Amino acid sequence: MLESIISHGLALGAVYALIGITYNVMFAASRVFSFTAGMVGMLGGVLGALFINRMGMPVIVGFVLTLASGAVIGIVTEILTVRPVLKSLDQHLYVLSTLAFALMIQQLTAIEWSTEPQPFPRLLPIGRGIFDQQFWLPMLACALVIFGLEWLYRRTLIGRAFLAIAEDSYAARALGLPEQRLRMASYALAGVIATLAGFSSGEMMLAYFGNGPLLNFYGFVPVALGGMGSNRGAVVGGIALGLFQQSASVLVGGIFASVAVFVVFIIVLLARPEGLAGAATARRV
Amino acid sequence: MSPTRRRAITRRQALAGAGASAAALAAGVCRPAIAQSEPIRIGYLPALTGPSSSTGIGINRGTELAVKEINAAGGIKGRQLELIVRDTQSDPTKAVNASTELTRRHKVHVMWGPLNSGEALAATPLIARDGVPQMHPCWVDALTDVKKYPLCFRNAPTNQQIGGAANHYVFNVLKLKKVAVVSDTTGYGTASLTAYVPMLKAMGAEVVYEGTIEASNPDVKPEMLRMQSGGAQAIMPWSVNAGFLSRLINTRSEMNWDVPIVGQTTLGSGQTQALLKKPEYWEKVYPNNFRNCCYNEAGALPPRTREFVERIRKANIEMSDTLLWWIALGYDAPRLIAEAIKEAGTEPQAIAAYWNKVNNWPGVYATITFTPEQHNGFHDNEVVMCRANSLKDGAFTLAPGYAG
Repeated sequence: MLESIISHGLALGAVYALIGITYNVMFAASRVFSFTAGMVGMLGGVLGALFINRMGMPVIVGFVLTLASGAVIGIVTEILTVRPVLKSLDQHLYVLSTLAFALMIQQLTAIEWSTEPQPFPRLLPIGRGIFDQQFWLPMLACALVIFGLEWLYRRTLIGRAFLAIAEDSYAARALGLPEQRLRMASYALAGVIATLAGFSSGEMMLAYFGNGPLLNFYGFVPVALGGMGSNRGAVVGGIALGLFQQSASVLVGGIFASVAVFVVFIIVLLARPEGLAGAATARRV
Repeated sequence: MSPTRRRAITRRQALAGAGASAAALAAGVCRPAIAQSEPIRIGYLPALTGPSSSTGIGINRGTELAVKEINAAGGIKGRQLELIVRDTQSDPTKAVNASTELTRRHKVHVMWGPLNSGEALAATPLIARDGVPQMHPCWVDALTDVKKYPLCFRNAPTNQQIGGAANHYVFNVLKLKKVAVVSDTTGYGTASLTAYVPMLKAMGAEVVYEGTIEASNPDVKPEMLRMQSGGAQAIMPWSVNAGFLSRLINTRSEMNWDVPIVGQTTLGSGQTQALLKKPEYWEKVYPNNFRNCCYNEAGALPPRTREFVERIRKANIEMSDTLLWWIALGYDAPRLIAEAIKEAGTEPQAIAAYWNKVNNWPGVYATITFTPEQHNGFHDNEVVMCRANSLKDGAFTLAPGYAG
């Protein structure tokens, strides 16, 4: 039982954290919560299976193409669903535009791929067990992403430009930063992270169009728990969610595990609406 | 105006009267002639595209073959069968629109379909309202009701029969008394669980585990450990989700737990097979099937099915990507319709009255019996279980324990 909680809990938690980070990267660049995050995550599994299983490409080529596709979808998301509504952020039109695009992605996947779960290839030729690759690959992906983002934001010029946009886009633009191109780059980066989440968890979650809404929701929980915009908070929130969900599944079982997750989620938000790691925002009066 | 003038008939009036009489005479005389030569219209609602299309495509091959054969043999009293096909695209809304178009605009004599339950649930009340006789193969129990839908008949089993056959196999054939029943969270899954658990208990089985799991949950091991610790001797999953079913099968094998898995037909589907970690994990998995479309232990099909398969081969109908029982089911329906129209005519009530008397009709897919009180024509004993890993040319081998 304990092994199941740890292996599946940490792996699922890492996937949720990666989707949470995807939400954050897009939010930081545009102040928009794009509900395409989970759908692009789902595409990571589907495209991986398509390139490697169906088209017979080597794993590394399939991996690179999947991430590249994620970047392209990220850019398309920015152009089609975010840019047109940025001028009226207060009307929250992005909820409609990003949700509509997310549904389009899901329906197209259902039509062109399959409505049935499809097998995802085994990525490395090593054996199975408690420390199976289907468990540690998502954790490795999560660790790489969090360290990579830390490095990008703190050690590179472009990373600092991202932070500047996130802090104050008007001031950043006034300083001559190419806001639009940086926002597109952020969305491309978010697409890469989401597809990495789906690709690394493909064997565990299968290449299945139904994973999209699940990732959309469970990936949003760590963002709400960890605080909007906080990647570290998303990782802590995601891992906690995965472990809690799996513990609830083992201890109370079946459908009650989901109920337990929602109950804790609501309690935490009631106690700390800004999230566990988020800072309370001042309201202009 | 004088009486003489009042009685006078002008030439124009005489011509108009003669014309009207001629038209009335022509209509009266010619209409039966046209009606007797016009095709018999069968409204047909398969899902040929979309998520439920694999079933529809299989059934369609049988339906087209039957209509072709009937028409090649001269039709029904000289009238050809005309299938008016509308692809529902696996969408209940489109099924509703298409059924209304077929009953009202095309004024079809009979409806065949819709072919899956979601669409039939939406379309059947409308077909009944328009007074058109309907034959469908959908399993949801509520889809036949002699009071609500007196013209609606089913040439396939009900969900009760499907669950009953699985329960019978576990309890009476395998003689296992402790059973774990599990479903996914879909309407089908939970409804099946609610229906089949009381049936098992009524038979005397001990249901040691009864649970619902989200189909997308990647880890079913905790639930299976609960089943194991409860002493389950068989697992009965009710779901059409291949991912969920394959996880149950994979986990059972990885736990080195040697209990049979008995349940819905998807257990034996190619999608489920594709998700198994090892082919041998498919051992001791027994999905529902139908006696007439199963091989016996010697590898032989029943005689009338064997003869049907020969005809399919001669007609160059592809069987490798579909199931024999889908083709057979599609083949039986137009024949039942044609027979009713041949014997009783095209009046809706007459067709229903004929079907109400159908007794042991020897279909390829099933032997059918209807009565005025029972429009579910499938016989209980023809729903069986088969070996999931025995698929050959679209058909499976009977599960161990059945007499061939």
